[in-house]
Amino acid sequence: MNAGPTRETTPFATTGRSRRGEPCIWLTAAGLTLGVAMALGLFLLILIKGGASFWPGRIDLMEVSIDGKTELIAGYVTQESERRDGKGILHEEIQIFRGNKDINGEAFKYIDRAHILKSTRPDSLLLVERIEFGPAIVHGVALENSQGRIEVSSPEFKPALKTMLKQGAVARDRLLGIERKRIGAISRELEALSRAEKSGSVDTRTAASRREMLQKKFERLQAQAAEIRAEIAKSSFLGRAADGREVTVAGAALLGVFESNRAGFAGRIGEMTHRIWKFLKDDPREANTEGGVFPAIFGTVIMTLVMSLFVTPFGVITAIYLREYARQGWFVRIVRVCVNNLAGVPSIVFGVFGLAFFVYFVGAKIDQTLFSDKLPTPTYGTPGIFWASLTLALLTLPVVIVATEEALSAVPRGVREAALACGASKWQAIQRVVLPASLPGILTGVILAMARGAGEVAPLMLVGVVKLAPSLPIDDIAPFIHPERKFMHLGFHIYDLGFQSPDAEAAKPIVYATALLLIVLVVTLNLTAILIRNRLKKRFAVSSF
Amino acid sequence: MGWLIRSGGVAVILSVFGIFYFVGKEVLPLFRSADVAPVGKFDALAVPAVLGVDEWGEMPFFYDGGDKVVFLSVADAARREIEVPGLAGLKITAHAFDPVHLRVSLGLEDGRVGSFLVGYERKFSGDGKSIIEPAVTAEPWFSLKHGEGAVTAVSYGDSGAGRVIAARRGEGAVATVSVLRLGMKRGLVGKGKLSLLEEVEVTKELGAEPLLLRASQNGAMVLVALADGGVAYFLADSQGVSKRQTFRPFDGVSPRQMDFLFGGVAVVLTAMDGRQEQWSLFRAGRDGERMFGESKVFPQLGEGRVIFAASQRNRTFLTGSGRDLSIRHSTSGAVRWEGALDIDPVTAVLDAKGGHFIAAAADGTARRYSIHDPHPEAGWRAFFGKVWYEGGSEPVYQWQSTGGSDDFEPKLSLIPLIFGSLKGTACALIFSIPVALLAAVFSAAFLPLEIKRVVKPVMEIMSSLPSVVLGFLAGLWLAPLLETRVPSVMMMTLVVPLAALATGYVWCRLPNSFRNRFAQGSEWIIVIPFLALAGWIGWSLGPVIESLLFVHKDAATGNEIADFRLWWPQAAGISFEQRNSLVLGFMMGFAVIPVIFTIAEDALSNVPESLTAAAAALGANRWQVVRTVLLPVASSGIFSALMIGFGRAVGETMIMVMATGNTPITEWNLFNGMRTLSANIAVELPEAPVGSTHYRTLFLGAVVLFAMTFFMNTAAELLRQRLRDRNKLV
Repeated sequence: MNAGPTRETTPFATTGRSRRGEPCIWLTAAGLTLGVAMALGLFLLILIKGGASFWPGRIDLMEVSIDGKTELIAGYVTQESERRDGKGILHEEIQIFRGNKDINGEAFKYIDRAHILKSTRPDSLLLVERIEFGPAIVHGVALENSQGRIEVSSPEFKPALKTMLKQGAVARDRLLGIERKRIGAISRELEALSRAEKSGSVDTRTAASRREMLQKKFERLQAQAAEIRAEIAKSSFLGRAADGREVTVAGAALLGVFESNRAGFAGRIGEMTHRIWKFLKDDPREANTEGGVFPAIFGTVIMTLVMSLFVTPFGVITAIYLREYARQGWFVRIVRVCVNNLAGVPSIVFGVFGLAFFVYFVGAKIDQTLFSDKLPTPTYGTPGIFWASLTLALLTLPVVIVATEEALSAVPRGVREAALACGASKWQAIQRVVLPASLPGILTGVILAMARGAGEVAPLMLVGVVKLAPSLPIDDIAPFIHPERKFMHLGFHIYDLGFQSPDAEAAKPIVYATALLLIVLVVTLNLTAILIRNRLKKRFAVSSF
Repeated sequence: MGWLIRSGGVAVILSVFGIFYFVGKEVLPLFRSADVAPVGKFDALAVPAVLGVDEWGEMPFFYDGGDKVVFLSVADAARREIEVPGLAGLKITAHAFDPVHLRVSLGLEDGRVGSFLVGYERKFSGDGKSIIEPAVTAEPWFSLKHGEGAVTAVSYGDSGAGRVIAARRGEGAVATVSVLRLGMKRGLVGKGKLSLLEEVEVTKELGAEPLLLRASQNGAMVLVALADGGVAYFLADSQGVSKRQTFRPFDGVSPRQMDFLFGGVAVVLTAMDGRQEQWSLFRAGRDGERMFGESKVFPQLGEGRVIFAASQRNRTFLTGSGRDLSIRHSTSGAVRWEGALDIDPVTAVLDAKGGHFIAAAADGTARRYSIHDPHPEAGWRAFFGKVWYEGGSEPVYQWQSTGGSDDFEPKLSLIPLIFGSLKGTACALIFSIPVALLAAVFSAAFLPLEIKRVVKPVMEIMSSLPSVVLGFLAGLWLAPLLETRVPSVMMMTLVVPLAALATGYVWCRLPNSFRNRFAQGSEWIIVIPFLALAGWIGWSLGPVIESLLFVHKDAATGNEIADFRLWWPQAAGISFEQRNSLVLGFMMGFAVIPVIFTIAEDALSNVPESLTAAAAALGANRWQVVRTVLLPVASSGIFSALMIGFGRAVGETMIMVMATGNTPITEWNLFNGMRTLSANIAVELPEAPVGSTHYRTLFLGAVVLFAMTFFMNTAAELLRQRLRDRNKLV
């Protein structure tokens, strides 16, 4: 450690060991402990809860007596709690996830521990991921494909299952390609055609013949899709639920089968990695309670990038103006106070402004001049990712201005004067000497702004975030970039799933995982900023004189 | 390049301030009064006893009690007459008009009562223009069995299913009043037939000469104004017709005018001397019957004839005497517009959309005026004052912006929301301030630098935690966790600080040889096990305390249950909710503590070393240095930290949305929720129609929020700058 001033090393080292006031000092120490514990505890909680949502547990098969009847229930224990009933007797309850929403209705069940007669973990229980109704928990029975039926006991079962999963994935991909892209293209063309016809640039006869052609193309594609469906419909997975009921999963809907109870540690790690990967890259399913969060990640990243694209130049220019060009007087002082204040203005106020100004004022004007043929359907006059980015750019502007100003003022006077003495103009001195020296500081500001922007949700609720966006703001459909589209956001995903979801219990794992992801994103950005700042401090510590 | 930077910089600063201009511009229309402008004049019938108009205000009709209805097109002054059906040559002796259904009710000389409906149909021709086609439809007649002579007053109430007619026969002391209940007999096919269910004579129950009759638009009430100043209230429901109340609005002065307002539960009365009041139906006690009571007093009118026309889309009404008319709003009691006409009107009518009114004089001249009043329910009184809403038993602060039915009365008081914001902030600060300040003092005064380098960034990162994560944890993890553990939380907040003090007390009495093994500044590590122990003790003491103190006695079974959730409502008389202020305060701590900590820590660290060193040199021990030098010198910095913390807490949105339950109540109860300004905007603005009163009121909420934080932040900033200057001098 380099030797700094005495105060920095051990404050009040010479004061001795007096007793007076010591308890108060310990109270302040407890305050710090509590603060740090809260921060670390929260990170730890999210880390554990988020991580646990990916960890494959063991499936319990329980014999439960309910009202005198014995029932077999298989599932994961998700929660344990105590409850006092009306007579004051304590009950230990467990919540189990038994899946099979299609036959059970509810995926979760609460069981009194006292009612459990026997609990085992048979190897034959499988966790079956599928497109609809959430996962199924069944004993494997057989596979059916075009060649016939393969029992679970047969050695061909595993290879056949693998082929079936692969075939299903290929079929889903092809169907998606046909239905979303090619049929979508036809419907867009039809829409454009009817607009052109309305405006008179295409005459009715050409339009009619074109329409007929598109209709034929559409029918051809539909036939293709039907063929793929028929092919895949021949295969299916058969299982038996714990209570003996049959569960059939069509080949096209089967996403994966995991032997929860047979898998060893390595297998479970593998499954966890697989789940994390799926979570990051998949689209959401089942009202967002299943599948991944890829569109939300994409939306958050794009919005934050566009935001920083706007906030950086404007923030830096304003800071340079305030620090280097404006005459330092009462006016600049007031502006500075106001800019600092702006950082403390509630984010929802920025959202309100963004809605009124960007969406309903600027957006409506753009629609009137450029997209009048689509009116009354608004194009830009409705919340979208571009407006969201601009709103957040405004929100984070003070962060960049303050950071840049600090960085500029930290550049030693001598350096600046040296440049001027060499004959550089004011702008040249700023451009060649001052800006490069303050670049890390500016970067810190931008990264902090990005961290703030990425975690902000309240204003987005007003200017463009939605629970489920049908398409991404950047895709392979011309003109490729769609700044007017609504988007999904990790933060809003948490709010929506946690508080607006029809099945909040089932959504919990995804919410914790999303929270973990968002926190990792924000903390990484912050740590980067802090690291840059620390390096910067060292550099200036050397160069100051 | 210089000019580019200059103009760019100025442009950004200007556009930032443009924000406030723009938000303010959205709010201003709320505080404008109505604009009324004359848009036409025309001649009507000589004595327009009934004046009605279509919903677009374009084709008024005039009816003088004769056998013809005259329609007049405003656009081209075309006149059209339609004969009143079913009169058979009899003379009409009484008539009344119901603008909601455009129904003219009639009483005949032979004691029959009935009505006809005026209808308009808008037809669009090919070239985009439209014409309005008027029609008159007859309704069934009913012969009165009671009373004698001609019908002298009539009123018709219609809610579609249930209808009621009130009629008076004869004049003066011999007048009789009957109430007729009508019902639709629904056939298997067709619309069904209107038939008389019963006719009840109520003259004996009046006690004085009947002057005015009004049947309510919901077809369930009849009011009769009497010569002795009383008003008798009859309820006509499926059980029959019964008198419920006689109230005296003007202490003996009899009413000159009496009309129901939109919604049909409030009535506006004007006395002979010009006093105008609103009486509305409400339950006075908890389970009493709904009775009429005085709820509002409007500015006094002049003497003479009273003009009255109620709006059919909100609670505004046009009223006046002589040439002086005014548009008033019942909810806020505000006068929206006042002015004198150039004719002496005998009747006036508002169109259904509230965009025009037409007034007609006795000589047959009529004037048409346009009304521009997009936000009649707004105003200072409505936003910040106590308002007596319909159905309520007293004036209250209430926020309820939307309702289920068309005749819903919006309740736009911002006070519950401001209260919610302040309550949420207070709960957050009560927990955050002690923790943050204690931590800041320790960190600035005692913490070794190398540890401080780690601790400060940790706190900074905590401050950038997305509040949506905190809110989610508060609502879905902490709230259910603490719901059953309130006594434990109470015990922990009590035990933990005591434990810290006790540890210090014991520690400084340990021998120095032992204490010296630990460096000063490591107290915050040493205290961890003791705090953990204390926390555990507090947590496990909770149930014990609960079983001792918080025992709820179940009234039904007589069982005694130790449960704070049940005990609290019984003991305090206020509710217990899962998402309560306790949970909120704790979770807000994560957002507020780092803010206060960072700024307070900076202020404390920046106290010049010469001061602290001087104190130490004079023999102060380390706590004395903190107490007598560090804290007083940095006090304004600490104060500014508190204010910034306040600003952060008051504007916090996502935690408030997710952890407070969002009920706009004003109750200082630690165990229920609230609705804050910020949460209110986030929840309601996406659904508010652009430009509506609701939309603009939410903007006003944003302005209030902005003003609160901006004021606090500016004050904090100025304090901080003063502190900086002062420390420079030292």
